[in-house]
Amino acid sequence: MRTNLKIAWRNLWRNKRRTLITVASIFFGVLLSAYMTSMQEGSYEKMVDMVVKYYSGAMQVHHENYWESKSINDTFEESQDLNQLILANEEVDFVIPRLESFALASSEELTKGVMVVGTVPEPENRLTSLKNNVRQGSYLSDNDQGLLIGEGLADYLRLGINDTLVMISQGYHGISAAGKYPIRGIIKHASPELNKMIVYMELSNCQEFFSADNRLTSLVVNIKDNDLLQKSLRKLRDELNSPYTIMSWQEMSPEMVQQIESDRAGGIIMKAVLYIVIGFGILGTIMMMIAERRREFGVMIAIGMQRYKLATILFYETLFIGMIGALSGLLVSIPLLSFQSQNPIPLTGQAALVMEDYGFEPYMFFSTEPSVFWHQAVTVFLITLVIALYPIFSANRMKLINALHA
Amino acid sequence: MKTHLFVILFLFVAGALPAQTVDIKDLVRRADEKFRGSSSIGEFTMTIQRPSWERTISMKNWTLGTEYSLILITAPAKEKGQVFLKRRNEMWNWVPSINRMIKIPPSMMMQSWMGSDFTNDDLVQESSLVKDYEHRLLGEEKLEGYDCYKIELVPNEEAAVVWGKIFMWISKDELLWLKAEFYDEDDFLVNTEILTDIKQMDDRVIPTRMEMIPAEKEGHKTIMTFDQMDFEVPLEESFFSIQNMKRVK
Repeated sequence: MRTNLKIAWRNLWRNKRRTLITVASIFFGVLLSAYMTSMQEGSYEKMVDMVVKYYSGAMQVHHENYWESKSINDTFEESQDLNQLILANEEVDFVIPRLESFALASSEELTKGVMVVGTVPEPENRLTSLKNNVRQGSYLSDNDQGLLIGEGLADYLRLGINDTLVMISQGYHGISAAGKYPIRGIIKHASPELNKMIVYMELSNCQEFFSADNRLTSLVVNIKDNDLLQKSLRKLRDELNSPYTIMSWQEMSPEMVQQIESDRAGGIIMKAVLYIVIGFGILGTIMMMIAERRREFGVMIAIGMQRYKLATILFYETLFIGMIGALSGLLVSIPLLSFQSQNPIPLTGQAALVMEDYGFEPYMFFSTEPSVFWHQAVTVFLITLVIALYPIFSANRMKLINALHA
Repeated sequence: MKTHLFVILFLFVAGALPAQTVDIKDLVRRADEKFRGSSSIGEFTMTIQRPSWERTISMKNWTLGTEYSLILITAPAKEKGQVFLKRRNEMWNWVPSINRMIKIPPSMMMQSWMGSDFTNDDLVQESSLVKDYEHRLLGEEKLEGYDCYKIELVPNEEAAVVWGKIFMWISKDELLWLKAEFYDEDDFLVNTEILTDIKQMDDRVIPTRMEMIPAEKEGHKTIMTFDQMDFEVPLEESFFSIQNMKRVK
């Protein structure tokens, strides 16, 4: 075999130009494809982050009726037993108890509907890095009576630090909820939409406002590694009984999942087209190569070389072209995309505004997940394998007389 | 001679007919007024029942005719001190804990009042059972041992009324309003009101317990008991003011 390999390798470089051109086409194909995939996956990652990291967390425990009704009456009591049960799973990192509902908030003359999130400051920060987003004032402390409000909301109501926000709503079991609170800090929420309507309160303060003593709408469950999500979800689902239920972020935001999937599917079609074109390019080269060397092959077989050995050499040649192209493509795309992911491309003008409207930061993000790269390598390899079948057939079916007369 | 007799008889019958229609309208008016009086001060307890919980609110109520009413919540502690004022067809809510006067906009009129099965509109009751409806006597039924008239009320074209149709049962003897069924414009039953516990309150005998049962919701009910009522009390229109909302006890 080693001889065959050596021969195949040397055959490649007998026609340097042709080899290099073919390798170049594969190289660019891999590079472009990796770049595009990286960009797509990068934006998906950001989209998932928007939901998971900045808001819902990986999974949430709810009262079984809560997701349908979203009513404050479908809450459950916080219990240490439940927390222990969940934390006993090794994939689970930490939990955040939350009480969320809607209210009307007003300053002196203006009123707006807001979403009130009652949470525990420290674990909340661990998940969403909320402390970093405080633009004015300070973050909530334990037992804080104050509120954090989004910048958009503060602007609309024209309120600043230490101003009073009045809120009214309907609480647990229909009890009127009414209260006034000082603004402790103003945050810039990662989601521009939430920025215009979010109010964070310390959990027990929030429970008091809604007269929902010790009650929660959700228990956010965070896991150490997002790849273990499905496994952890299955385990917890088995362990939790009525009236609790657990949902993953995919179940809570199926629109996000579908958006990503459909976008990915579109990307696959584009890549398929790209690789088909490259594939035919390689096939063209191989066909030309064989046609050109027909006499040579005829002579070799005539003097006694076994056809299968010739086929093997040609197979290796094709494979080598594919491998060199793919490897060089990867060798360039990996450092390039690593650099690009550290320095995302900023968008300006209209495009930026549109992005922000949809709730995204106006940058093109890149992903450096290994799958971005080895997908391309595997695809090229498979294509090359398929194309390499041609020279094998050709060598086996070759009519000796015709070849010698070429 | 025969023609004369015929004419006289005809006149008698004709004379009797309009009297019948006036009777029903008058009946409804008197039953309605009996319940309210020209003015009143009362103490009520409202219990809200739901499949998994129950809640009780106590309140004090002042009314003057059909146009003015003021409600002061006296229990539970979290809601104590809230005041609701109705002046004609406008409604205000004073929330002392946040020092805010809220005017209830028309868009909120169909929302539940204090989480009960009554809407804000029910309390404001800008429509008059007498003036805004056409009345028709459907027949007689026996309810809780009382002989009652069953009356159908259909709103007038221009009336600002949310109901498509109302059935009322009024007892023949004391003109007690014992039951009502409220239908929407598509003739679906929305609410049923049942009044029981007939007692002497001040100068009259009236039902002192009202149950409001929404048709579409299993296990939902609101019960209002009139613990104490005084009628024809001296009240001025000036009592029913926004400033007074903050002072009333």
